[in-house]
Amino acid sequence: MLAAFRSRWDSLPRALQIVLGRLALVIPQMFGVLLVTFFLIRLLPGDPAILLLGNMATPDAVAQLRDRLGLNDSVWTQFVSYVGNVLHGDLGVSIFTSNPVTVDLMERAPATLELIFYAMILTVVIGVVIAVVSVVRAGGPVDVASRIYGLAAGAIPDFWIGLLLIYFFFTLLGWAAAPFGRIDAMMSPPPYVTGFLTIDSLVAGDLETFWSAVGRLLLPVLTIAIVNAGALMKMTQSIFAGVWRSDFVRHARACGVPERVIIRAALRNSLPPIITMIGFLVGFLLGAAVLVETIFSWGGLGQYAVQAVMNSDYPALQGFILVASAFILVVYLVVDILYELVDPRIRV
Amino acid sequence: MTRSELDMKPVLSVEGLRVVFDTPDGDRTILQDVAFELRPNEILGIVGETGAGKSVLARAIIDLLPEGGRRVGGTVEIMGRQLERMDEGERRQVRGGQVALIGTNAKALLDPVERVGNQIVRVLRSHRKLSRKDAWAKAVKLLGDVGIVNPAERARAYPHELSGGMAQRVVIAMALITEPKVLLADDATLGLDATVSVQVLDMLVERSRELGLSVVLITHDLGIIAHYCNRVAIMRQGRIVEMRDVTGFLAKPGTPYSQELLDAAKARPVPSIRATASEGQPLLEVSNLLKIFAGSRPGEEVRAVDGVSFSVRRGETLALVGESGSGKTTIGQCLVRLLDASGGAIRFDGRDITTMPEAEFRPLRRRIQMVFQEPYVALNPRWKVMRLVDEPLRMLEKASAAERLRRVHRALDLVNLPTSHAELYPHELTAGEQKRVGIARALVTEPDFIVFDEPTTALDIRVRAQIIDLVRDLQSRMRLSALFITHDLNSVRSLAHDVAVMNRGRIVEAGPLEDVFASPKDPYTVKLLSAELAVEHEAEARHVHIPQPKEAMI
Repeated sequence: MLAAFRSRWDSLPRALQIVLGRLALVIPQMFGVLLVTFFLIRLLPGDPAILLLGNMATPDAVAQLRDRLGLNDSVWTQFVSYVGNVLHGDLGVSIFTSNPVTVDLMERAPATLELIFYAMILTVVIGVVIAVVSVVRAGGPVDVASRIYGLAAGAIPDFWIGLLLIYFFFTLLGWAAAPFGRIDAMMSPPPYVTGFLTIDSLVAGDLETFWSAVGRLLLPVLTIAIVNAGALMKMTQSIFAGVWRSDFVRHARACGVPERVIIRAALRNSLPPIITMIGFLVGFLLGAAVLVETIFSWGGLGQYAVQAVMNSDYPALQGFILVASAFILVVYLVVDILYELVDPRIRV
Repeated sequence: MTRSELDMKPVLSVEGLRVVFDTPDGDRTILQDVAFELRPNEILGIVGETGAGKSVLARAIIDLLPEGGRRVGGTVEIMGRQLERMDEGERRQVRGGQVALIGTNAKALLDPVERVGNQIVRVLRSHRKLSRKDAWAKAVKLLGDVGIVNPAERARAYPHELSGGMAQRVVIAMALITEPKVLLADDATLGLDATVSVQVLDMLVERSRELGLSVVLITHDLGIIAHYCNRVAIMRQGRIVEMRDVTGFLAKPGTPYSQELLDAAKARPVPSIRATASEGQPLLEVSNLLKIFAGSRPGEEVRAVDGVSFSVRRGETLALVGESGSGKTTIGQCLVRLLDASGGAIRFDGRDITTMPEAEFRPLRRRIQMVFQEPYVALNPRWKVMRLVDEPLRMLEKASAAERLRRVHRALDLVNLPTSHAELYPHELTAGEQKRVGIARALVTEPDFIVFDEPTTALDIRVRAQIIDLVRDLQSRMRLSALFITHDLNSVRSLAHDVAVMNRGRIVEAGPLEDVFASPKDPYTVKLLSAELAVEHEAEARHVHIPQPKEAMI
């Protein structure tokens, strides 16, 4: 039985083995995330009902809320009902906004994701291109510039870059759009499809909204990319330089293979650590983009989470952690799959 | 060589080539006044020791000097066109297109994340306009031609899925795919097993003859030169000191240095003084030794050593020969209990050491020592020679510091190292000196029995001969018993009394050296012996009379 499964498994293509093997792990991981978010609230000192109602609550109100929240049931009953609620998409109601947390998150998560998505693309393009050029043309102007940038990028805070960009490109030059939200306040957002305004507006065929959204994205995306591309560039540089010196690159050159083909091959060999780094950056930016979001009044997840903490808005916080964990889980899943796909030496 | 061949224009001609390298202390000359011509269909051997500039020469020919190197004089002419007059695009076309380079350690020369077929296609399409599909078909066909079984399937393999010999064939296919005019083989078979190496070289030479290529064979093995080449160039310190046809060279080298190289490449006469006390109990007796490793899949097992029996008497040396992966080193490690045997018995001086508790075996370690394969890896890089050689003494014997120092110096003396070397670190020593330190470390406890694991591989010809002389000397002076693990048959001839041939974990043939080598019975032994390119035999095959080297001092 097991042997039969084994042999059938072995006959699958390697790529399918990788994807299926990793997907099978997602279920227990997701269960772990639920367990942690659930106990996060239970582990808080004091009575959640008092925390939710505030110090002025009457004992009656507290008892009522405890009953409504099911706090009098056993922990396991509570956990089961919590999991049931989450599976039905019910994350509770935010104390601060009085909206269901799910609705809040549905609105804010795409804002942050859209920001991170474009910022990451730009980060990767900047980081990898500068790294490759600086290695291939060692000692050239790009190499020198990359060293200065590498030094500076580690030291410059993102909010400062954001403010500088606003000052120069909005205040002084007037080229960029105002740092107030995702689209022009006079426009109405396109119908909700993916939550990405750039995509939704194209789907709706509304070019005016599309360009407005792109304009608003420009400065925050640039800010995040400038701050984070430095780290990616430095790492890519050291890995790519190692590959660039290796025997197989020298041999390819001795075989008369053109430089651009060699660069592509060397880059492919440097991919695994770069993929890991990108995955890490994406997960990190989910919460860390909060200062940039605040400066550009973005209304994203980071801002929402900070608000929730400030206002002791526990359902909102719980919802944020759940969504953030699930998102990071997906990112790492993709990273793992890509990592194994690009390196045939890894045994599945 | 016929008249008409001599008249043909050389495909490659190098004139007054001078290459220097930048160093912190100014320029260092690596190649000086190198000049030679390569005629069509010719196989020219270039031989020399490490640091003679052979590889730099190969790279200078395709204008790809390692970093820091630059050509300061001379010309390289390929097919009648001067390399330095070409622009960068033309030079790229020459590399791989007209002059192809085959390097050492094929596995490192292949892109680890690309299918080998695609890598050949990549080279072909860099030089010819060809559709991907046609290029792939040509690559598969050539892989078959260079002796890869089932080429259509193997072309889809990644380099890590290939053996060293197969990877070398792929690299050769990468060189031949564009049908170049000149092939530069830079120590192409270094590190491969002798049988594989001969197959690969045979194939390489055969293909070159078919395609009408000229080949430059760079090597440090005079046997290869004697077997395959028309002419030979001897390099030393960046110069060609002698260049002539191989037959003439074998008969009488023209310079003292060449003579020294040739002598060093030959086997020393057999150490015939067999121990007089051959009767009586053997010092080491191995019976039915078994070592099983867990396989990569659960439940799978690899029988690395499969029922091996042999014995070594006092003062005698047994050579264990076979290809890599045959289980030789595993046996050696079982003898000193770096690995625990899975079954069978090892009796040392009458006592079974496989079942002995470690505490009881520990005092015996003084009497059984091992010299490890790669000296540099086996020596702690942060310790001075003094401490390295002293280590077994500190561990195994209670002796005063003064006494230990005296014995360290004596051990260094035994391996012909000056005592001043005790203050050096391993990286300050040459490869030969590192080997000597490894041997001194084994000798310092005055053992009865030493396991030598590949003591002569990866050494230059003269250094190898020195190490062989050293071991012979120790054998006779200290009446040492030894197990000599190697795949270098030349050194076996010079060192061993008895020989056991291993194949896939079993001993297929064993007996006194003369009997086994003179009339091998097992087909595997025959194969192993026929793969050996001994200079003496090659010279005989070329009908060269070689004056025997003077009897080496014992």
